[in-house]
Amino acid sequence: MNVKSTLAVLAAALVSLALTPLAGLGAEYHHVHLAVASPSLAIQWYEDHMECTPIADRSDAVRCPTVEITFGADTTVGGSAGTGVNHIAFSFPDLDTKMAELERAGVGGRGVRLQRFEDGSMISEIPGVFAHGFVFDPWGTRIELVADADRTGFHHVHLSATDPDASLEWYANVMGGERTTLAGQLDAVRFDNAWLIVDRHPEGVPASTTDRAIQHLGFMVSDLDEAASGMRQYGVGFTGEPESGQTSARRAYVAGPDSVSVAVVEPGWVANPTLTLFTDAGAGPVVDAETYVAPRTPWGAPDLEGIWTSNRAHGIPLERPGDIEEGEELTPEEAAARRERGTLGSIWGYEREWRDTTLGFVDDLPSTQVAMVVDPPDGRIPPLTAEAGARRGGGGFGGGGLPAGPEDLSDYVRCITQGLPSLMMPTIYNNGLQIVQSPTHVAITKEMIHETRIIPTDGSPPLSENITQWLGDSRGYWDGDSLVVEVRNFNGRAMYRGASPDMTLVERYTRVSPTMLMYEFTVDDPATWTRPWTAMFTFDLDNGQYELVEYACHEGNYAMINILTGARAQEAAAASDSQPE
Amino acid sequence: MPRHSSTPARITGFVIAIVVAMAVPAAAQGDIPRAWDGNPDLNGIWQAIGTAHWDLQDHNAAPGPPEMGAIGAIPPGQGVVVGNTIPYQDWALDQKQQNFENRFTEDPEIRCYMPGVPRATYLPYPFQIIQGTDKMLFAYGFAETSRTIHMNVENPEPAPIDSWMGRSHGYWDGDTLVIDVAGFNGKSWFDRAGNFASNTLQVIERYTPMGPNALMYEATIEDPNVFTEPWTIRMPLYRRLEDNLQILEYKCVEFAEEILYGDLRRQPAN
Repeated sequence: MNVKSTLAVLAAALVSLALTPLAGLGAEYHHVHLAVASPSLAIQWYEDHMECTPIADRSDAVRCPTVEITFGADTTVGGSAGTGVNHIAFSFPDLDTKMAELERAGVGGRGVRLQRFEDGSMISEIPGVFAHGFVFDPWGTRIELVADADRTGFHHVHLSATDPDASLEWYANVMGGERTTLAGQLDAVRFDNAWLIVDRHPEGVPASTTDRAIQHLGFMVSDLDEAASGMRQYGVGFTGEPESGQTSARRAYVAGPDSVSVAVVEPGWVANPTLTLFTDAGAGPVVDAETYVAPRTPWGAPDLEGIWTSNRAHGIPLERPGDIEEGEELTPEEAAARRERGTLGSIWGYEREWRDTTLGFVDDLPSTQVAMVVDPPDGRIPPLTAEAGARRGGGGFGGGGLPAGPEDLSDYVRCITQGLPSLMMPTIYNNGLQIVQSPTHVAITKEMIHETRIIPTDGSPPLSENITQWLGDSRGYWDGDSLVVEVRNFNGRAMYRGASPDMTLVERYTRVSPTMLMYEFTVDDPATWTRPWTAMFTFDLDNGQYELVEYACHEGNYAMINILTGARAQEAAAASDSQPE
Repeated sequence: MPRHSSTPARITGFVIAIVVAMAVPAAAQGDIPRAWDGNPDLNGIWQAIGTAHWDLQDHNAAPGPPEMGAIGAIPPGQGVVVGNTIPYQDWALDQKQQNFENRFTEDPEIRCYMPGVPRATYLPYPFQIIQGTDKMLFAYGFAETSRTIHMNVENPEPAPIDSWMGRSHGYWDGDTLVIDVAGFNGKSWFDRAGNFASNTLQVIERYTPMGPNALMYEATIEDPNVFTEPWTIRMPLYRRLEDNLQILEYKCVEFAEEILYGDLRRQPAN
């Protein structure tokens, strides 16, 4: 509390200093605008972790304490790193204590993701400048924490530029900051209430701030019309007409160097509330699936092209848990907790930073669906046949549970296949599914392991029964807005839940909104289950910067070498233990 | 060196297609299939025929691993390198010779690794082009390899990470599909003779319809760390015309496991 009131006094002092105009517009640094899933949660997060304070009557901003952070409910295609605005920074007098506190906060819920240095430490010293460390907020904004005794609270915006010198000149000349260095080392532009630090983007040209976690920087001028004429001498103009918010103050935008979006606002600016695509409660996009008509490709087929992820569905169990009644749904809190458990549970062996990052990229609100199985209506997979029960006996490998060779490990660990329908299921990472269509085929590529299914939709006859494959033989056809795919000719080696090679899988892909694809699959195998059963979950379109990466699973399968080497070492150790001295 | 040429918008491609259609004699262009946007329709299953997968350069018949007899022997072939010479830097020529000597153990193809570009094109397996609205997918018959061709990206970013197959940007130059590929990891070979490049490789591929059932394939290969100048390979690709042909799974991992992990198997007790 004491710290906060001290900061507030400091804030007032700095605001009064800012009235002295410098060169250019004499603008004051004012705000940074972040895209978040929920402004109310973001206000809480920045209050809890960055010692910012909520602003009375504002549901979209906090004060930190000399600069505002404003929030818009918006989906993003990636975090701030890699764009022209790499990160923002806060200064804390006692950095060790602060970082320890953030580490304790953990990644649970809307937690804190730490970014450690290469040696594993959280804090590193920039000699002669200050100590610093990095974290991410839950929505992808990278945050640096520094220990700078000269400025507490919001400290700087870190720009990553194609041409640092040109960027420094631009912000100094146009906005009117002072071009200088921080601690004699870091090239920067100083404003009275914040620094802009600029360095060279490591890969040349940074990505645009459009649709990324840090969406724009904000400067404040006393009058926009005056500012417009002031900027003209530098050849800079507003990219659109000034707009009004909830007060008489106005805002206009300027394109900064490297296409960084820069807002210029008048004192007292408060934005209008943003439209929310997703509610805090976790519902999907608000579209009536009954009346929605999917867009068409230029040749008239339903258009399913794009990159789809099933992050929202991650954590939904196949079967309805016994303690949940038929017809019930989870509350959003229960859904969030379930996904968290599933996520952490399925990647327990990984470093904390890996888990943090994985969680941080998944910002689709979790599904409240109780179970994937929708038929039978009780959400339970039908009983096994007697034959299947007998078939399931045995299994496992001898030798004290240690694999004798690669064949003893799963087809997934061997990087051969996930099988069907497993490869369609949500995975905790590399969850993207890319669909490319031609008039005669639909190709579905799963990033995980990189498997591609090429599905003919032209009515060509199925494969001969003499040819069987790991993923069977997929044949598709269009049924209204849906793509229906029937899969047969399995080779019996990566069978789903112990099914027989005679299993028929029928899949139905239906675009139910501009951004949602419903996926239903029916498993029919009389040799295994007493009746066919159907499951359903949804994919979300992610057509921004999600691009399938090459998941070179087999090429980089060090795990296989390590597992087998470990097994042989354990056997050797056991053998030498049993030898007489 | 221009990293990426500008990419004409789809409508421009359409206009160019019309202009080309008017300029070129009907016999040369009249009978190729066209996609919805007027560009050539490359959908289908294609395959190179020849011995480029053994050696891009002129080569005589030679023995293979002795236990394979004539099945494993190397058939003779005329090279596909324009001018037949690959302009290696001195050290790289030595490396190529070393690769050649170790080709029956060190070739990444033996291990079922993704083949890279341009090698994927002329491996002795068919590949399928699925031509979408703003991307194409090339799905190859070897090692479950595929690559996405990002079409008409206005300002393509460099590959975010190195990979076996690189990152591909495509655009239409008249009726020719041009693909600019870079971002390789430098681990691929070009053929079973040990020709290779590094991770600074850039490949410019050109696919030009020669009629409904053949494409001329050209790839210009540039790598300032391995070659003294860019060089080009050229060969036709043929449409596979069998009824109902499809690319079958060739998940070759399990066939390479003995080579990769055989020494880590449990040995029978003495």
